[in-house]
Amino acid sequence: MNFTSDHKVLIQGITGALGAIYAPLMKAYGTQVVAGIASGHGGQTVGDIPVFDMVDQALDAVGTVDTTVIFVEPYRVVDAALEAIAAGIRQIVLITEGVPPLDMVRLVRKAEAVETLIVGPDSPGIIVPGQVLLGTHPIEFYIPGSVGLLSRSGTLTYEVALQLTRAGLGQSIAVGIGGDRIVGSSFQQWLQILEEDDQTEAIVLVGEIGGDSEETAARYIAEAIDKPVVAYIAGRTAPKNLPMGHAGAIVASLVAGWGTEIGTADSKIAAFKEAGIPVAERPSQIPDLVKQAL
Amino acid sequence: MNLLEYQAKELFQQMGIPILPSQRIDHPKDLKGLKIPYPVVLKSQVYTGGRGKAGGIRFAENTIDAVAAAQTIFHLPIMGHYPSVLLAEAKYEPDQELYLAVVLDRALRRPLLLGSQAGGIEVQAAVRQIQQVVVDEEFSPFYARRLALKMGLKGELIELVSSIVEKMYRLFVEKDLDLVEINPLAVSLDGEVMALDGKVTANGAALARHPDLAALRDQLPRPRIGATTALPSGMRVVELEGNIGILCNGAGLAMSTLDLVYQAGGKPANFLNLGGESAYRLPPNLVQDRVQQGLDWMIQNADLTVILINLVGSVVACDQIAAGIATYLKQRRDGRYPACVVRLVGQNFETAKRSLAALNVPVFDELDGAIARSVALSKSKKKHELHV
Repeated sequence: MNFTSDHKVLIQGITGALGAIYAPLMKAYGTQVVAGIASGHGGQTVGDIPVFDMVDQALDAVGTVDTTVIFVEPYRVVDAALEAIAAGIRQIVLITEGVPPLDMVRLVRKAEAVETLIVGPDSPGIIVPGQVLLGTHPIEFYIPGSVGLLSRSGTLTYEVALQLTRAGLGQSIAVGIGGDRIVGSSFQQWLQILEEDDQTEAIVLVGEIGGDSEETAARYIAEAIDKPVVAYIAGRTAPKNLPMGHAGAIVASLVAGWGTEIGTADSKIAAFKEAGIPVAERPSQIPDLVKQAL
Repeated sequence: MNLLEYQAKELFQQMGIPILPSQRIDHPKDLKGLKIPYPVVLKSQVYTGGRGKAGGIRFAENTIDAVAAAQTIFHLPIMGHYPSVLLAEAKYEPDQELYLAVVLDRALRRPLLLGSQAGGIEVQAAVRQIQQVVVDEEFSPFYARRLALKMGLKGELIELVSSIVEKMYRLFVEKDLDLVEINPLAVSLDGEVMALDGKVTANGAALARHPDLAALRDQLPRPRIGATTALPSGMRVVELEGNIGILCNGAGLAMSTLDLVYQAGGKPANFLNLGGESAYRLPPNLVQDRVQQGLDWMIQNADLTVILINLVGSVVACDQIAAGIATYLKQRRDGRYPACVVRLVGQNFETAKRSLAALNVPVFDELDGAIARSVALSKSKKKHELHV
């Protein structure tokens, strides 16, 4: 995995509402935050992080970086990501919630063409406990260990991490792939990364209602993943046809007659059970299922 | 956000998609000034489907018939919804009815063009006949022609229908839509096409850059039970019918908490998402202010016996959040509010616990305990007990 403490990181939107809070926290955790970007703020510093107007200028000053974490406001997220791609950055974490889906379509088309990994949007990003924080995960909820945690949520990811930590189960990595309908990387991509990661011995997948990414992931696990996986699905009792706060979490079919059962918790739980993957009833049950699976 | 048929058709017209002459009817007496020649069709403007079967579409040959039909439709609920507007439209006899749509495929992460020759009310029965074309790269009209061919269209119809699909796609992208659907697209023997009914769903996240669509949202009536109502500050609430109010930061956590309350035998009254840790406009360092605003909104619900506050995050220490809750509860002028149960994780937890204990508010640092206490209280407490 290419997320380690010697890995160099850029923060786009470092002076904004989110970047100003999280950039110093990331740096304090040991992440090598080498520069921040904020148009109009070039020459300033945030904490002791130097700020540049554009990505190119920052790279001229600090050399190549491995990853950029983007905290800019929703309608500027895709532009910031395209700027990073143009500068040659190939790992991008999008934190901000509320990016319009068609903006993401544009970005995904570009990212696929140049083989760039995108995480998010509407995501807590990535944490490798004890090493590197690329996002908003509360560090005290995590301890180093061997459980890989994949999730579509933010604060629910923290909840599950806390349950694991309190049960003495440390984590090799936690990734929030994002709560929006169109996200940059899928559960399958991350399952494959964790399957190949030497630190990871078991995987916890936290899904929720809406879409079919859990069903697809369940089939993929049955075919391609040898490490034990435990699943949990949020939203079993959520009312149908109402947005639940994550743009992606809606049980509904927009198209006439397309079937109303797409995206239900039942469909997802059935898919995991069919693939032989234990499904936790509640977050507090996850550590026991992981221990049984190991 | 769904648009009504007449609103969707206004967008179609702007894009040059042919629609029939029509007129919006706000009151039956508007029909006396009808500018469309008879016979006409009167159509109930509601967001739900199935209005034809429910009697929400009626034909009229003259003004007397039309006024009577309009009165009937205004008083006819469709799946529980009454129309506030009707659409009067010229009557049209199609030779053939097609189905066309543009949607976003979340797994492929690309727009999808959909089409079928079995349009109109047949489409539900003939879902398998719907053809798909993925718009992989930047759109170009050949994607639309590819769809027309897959649908089995021949000759002039290929150009005719693909030009409509192209306009639908341009509308989809220009207005950041989740769905553009024409069903049916009428096709006549002399090669005329006409969008007889249409559905447009706007994307909520993109509304702020489409003031014309946002203005339509602001005109909508706000239903209560089971509907989401945007709070002034941008928080979201989903209303249910029980007696436990749930207040969380983040959508996934809110859904999980809702599930746990139901599993423990409780009945949620609503759940309110204060915004997670990645909301640009509701930054996490202000969560204590948002808790106060959320409580203020929630306490207006007279059916609540318990409010469960479940906050997970680390930017603001527990004691500061607890202080915000305590200040709010003390300021309630009449001293009446539902029982509160608080779940917090993070720094200064013990201080938080002590400060709220003084107000008889239990504070948990693990979720299952907070759920069990909330459900137990919801069964023993009365509504809005006096706390002074």
